[in-house]
Amino acid sequence: MIEIENLTKTFGAFKAVDGLSLKVPPGEIYGFLGPNGAGKTTTVKILSGIMRPAGGRVLVDGIDMSVDPLSAKRRLAYIPDEPFVYPKLTGRELLRFIGDLYSVPVDEQEREIPKLLEMFDLSEAGGELLESYSHGMKQKLLIASVLLRKPKVVLFDEPTVGLDPRSIRRFRELLLDIARSGACVFMCTHILEMAEKLCGRVGIIYKGRLIAEGTVSELRRMSGSSADRTLEDIFLSLTEG
Amino acid sequence: MLLPVLLRRKVSSFVNRLHALRGWELAKTLMFLAVGLGMLAILYFSFLRLLYYLDGVQLIGPMLSWKLTSMVLLITFSMVIVSSIIISMTTLYYSFDLKFLFSCPLDHRTLFMDKALETVFYSSWTLFLAIVPYILALMQVKQLSPAFFVSYCLLMVPFVLVAGSFGVIFSMLVMYWFPSSRTRDLTWLLGSLSVSLVYVAFRFSKPEQLLRPDSLEVVAQYIQYLQSPTAEYLPSWWVTKAMMAYGAERWPQFFLYGGALAAGAAVLYSFMYFVSGRVYAQGFSGAQSSPKFKGLPRLLWEQRLVRAGWRWRGALTVYWKDRLMFARDARYWSQVILIGALIMVYLFSIRQLPLDTPDMKSMVSFLNIGVAGFVMAAIGLRFTFPSISLEGNCYWLARSAPVTVAQFMREKLLFTLPPSMLIGVVLVLASNHLLQADAFIAWLSLFTILVSSVVITVMGVGLGALFPDFRVENIHQIESSYGGFIYMACAMGYLALAMGFEAWPVQMHFAERFGRADPWDWRGIAFSAAGFSVVTAAALYLPWKLGRAKLESHEI
Repeated sequence: MIEIENLTKTFGAFKAVDGLSLKVPPGEIYGFLGPNGAGKTTTVKILSGIMRPAGGRVLVDGIDMSVDPLSAKRRLAYIPDEPFVYPKLTGRELLRFIGDLYSVPVDEQEREIPKLLEMFDLSEAGGELLESYSHGMKQKLLIASVLLRKPKVVLFDEPTVGLDPRSIRRFRELLLDIARSGACVFMCTHILEMAEKLCGRVGIIYKGRLIAEGTVSELRRMSGSSADRTLEDIFLSLTEG
Repeated sequence: MLLPVLLRRKVSSFVNRLHALRGWELAKTLMFLAVGLGMLAILYFSFLRLLYYLDGVQLIGPMLSWKLTSMVLLITFSMVIVSSIIISMTTLYYSFDLKFLFSCPLDHRTLFMDKALETVFYSSWTLFLAIVPYILALMQVKQLSPAFFVSYCLLMVPFVLVAGSFGVIFSMLVMYWFPSSRTRDLTWLLGSLSVSLVYVAFRFSKPEQLLRPDSLEVVAQYIQYLQSPTAEYLPSWWVTKAMMAYGAERWPQFFLYGGALAAGAAVLYSFMYFVSGRVYAQGFSGAQSSPKFKGLPRLLWEQRLVRAGWRWRGALTVYWKDRLMFARDARYWSQVILIGALIMVYLFSIRQLPLDTPDMKSMVSFLNIGVAGFVMAAIGLRFTFPSISLEGNCYWLARSAPVTVAQFMREKLLFTLPPSMLIGVVLVLASNHLLQADAFIAWLSLFTILVSSVVITVMGVGLGALFPDFRVENIHQIESSYGGFIYMACAMGYLALAMGFEAWPVQMHFAERFGRADPWDWRGIAFSAAGFSVVTAAALYLPWKLGRAKLESHEI
């Protein structure tokens, strides 16, 4: 599970994240929404351990990221919005690389990697250099790597950018599978329709502060919207007012 | 025509970059500028001395200096061509902004000309700057007015345009006929190979003898050689002739050669403009395709070690990743070719040293440690120092993975130390053999180079972590950065101090060779050993510690 307590991050005088606190229990898909520059990516980067907070703390599966970052990182998988990968490795080698970094036993890698490539329609491209992959193919490969790692916490930052409709559908099923397996999923997205359908709870961050949190119906009540209003309407009314 | 719009964006970027220079960035830039100007001043005074000497040679002096000028220009011309071939492959086909520009309502010819001019600029500006001291020294020696320099600058515009166009046309046609990223890799390799061959052939031809009239048997033959044109059909000779005409105030000849240059450039660029409309877009489209490549389905030896329960799993993993990437990246191969050429020339120069006595040879063997160390540091600047920054955009993978910064740095050390050590040992052993160094000096130099290779590599990784820049696109940007400068300064400082501490025992050794009774002062030796150890320990510890702390706090 994820626990964020009074998290703050500043860049000079600018407060990117301001006193953020939230919890995501195991098995939940949590949608993290907000307009551009609201602090979503900064929050995810702090959660993943590649950025340090100015204040507050982050617990991943009960482990404080600032106290024992290695143990915390072993339990999570992070997929950034831009799938930067080593261009001179092949898809199969990248999965091996990630498997080795996350201590996935070599025998298990040999067994699982072909299956994962098959699952994401990458079997043929698996032996080609990543420099020849499209954006969507790289994204799919990184999503496949999540399954190889079997993490307890999954962090996605705009995961469906560049994916084709079929892959998006498969990705949705995958998210549900991950959650069913007991892992918690923390997902930043601008696709509100997807958040509405998949996420158990949604948090809305605006100017670094969490301005609303709850299920879609709770948010609807909170914003005083009628039952036929979509998450998009609620989001706009909360962030424009 | 939208070319001015495209060119304006470059001017705006440059001006914005200047405006953004403040505080520490401004101080760094000014410091670099001062160092650069200092080096140009040193070059100027060296050329001035050489040209005064040549010009003062009886009868043939003026011919000698013009002959040298034609050779300098010919080398510059060749270098611009090779640089433009290498650079144009990137600027024309793989620049980050090309996809955006191709999607704009721009005529492909206009886009091509923009990229061609960019190529010419990047492949010539350093060479142009490097020969400015030579031209200023020539102006001084020939007692010409500053207008000579202005006319030279005007002549250089069509000169570099013509030289650069050869590389641009070559890349355009090659990519049209063989459109693939492999073509780019092969071109880079062939470019490096030709530079290396020219460099080795030039050194092996013993050019120092050309400046000695007594080395040729017949004086008349020598004079004939001096009077003959140096590649008369090439623009380098036209520039030389135009400059000679300016010096002698023969204006029709000056305008004839200047006009020929300008006309040559105009014809070449008209040809490029015409042809690019037909072939550029097709070449660009093909260049985006990568050749089919089948990776390694079998287990790597590092993975076998991990499976066998070997420790250092994280370091071994990053190691095999770096090993595969190194083997597949043509940019590294071209660097390796250049290093091979450098080592050949180095050993040839050692062999050519006019040393007569065994004492002199042993003394030079000791001093040679410093030179070999410098070569190692220069290689470290290309491979070790940039190794962390070259993770680039992909650094997020290592940073978010359960791998500590220390493990990550240890892997970089593991990857770069063995080749660095091997090169150092080869240089010293081969030099000692060629110089017939005595046993004491041979062992001392071997020990020093082994220790220095460790220190210089640790320093490279440590300072590479202290000055990381994950946004760079190529090794050259990292080499020429502020951190690269600090790395070279620290490596050379360490070598100077280490050799300084060794100088005392070496002095005792030579005293013994010269027959002095009881030359060994054991307190002096203990002091030297202690000093050497302290300096080495500090050079190992401080950059590593500082780099590690910096990288741990670095945010991406």
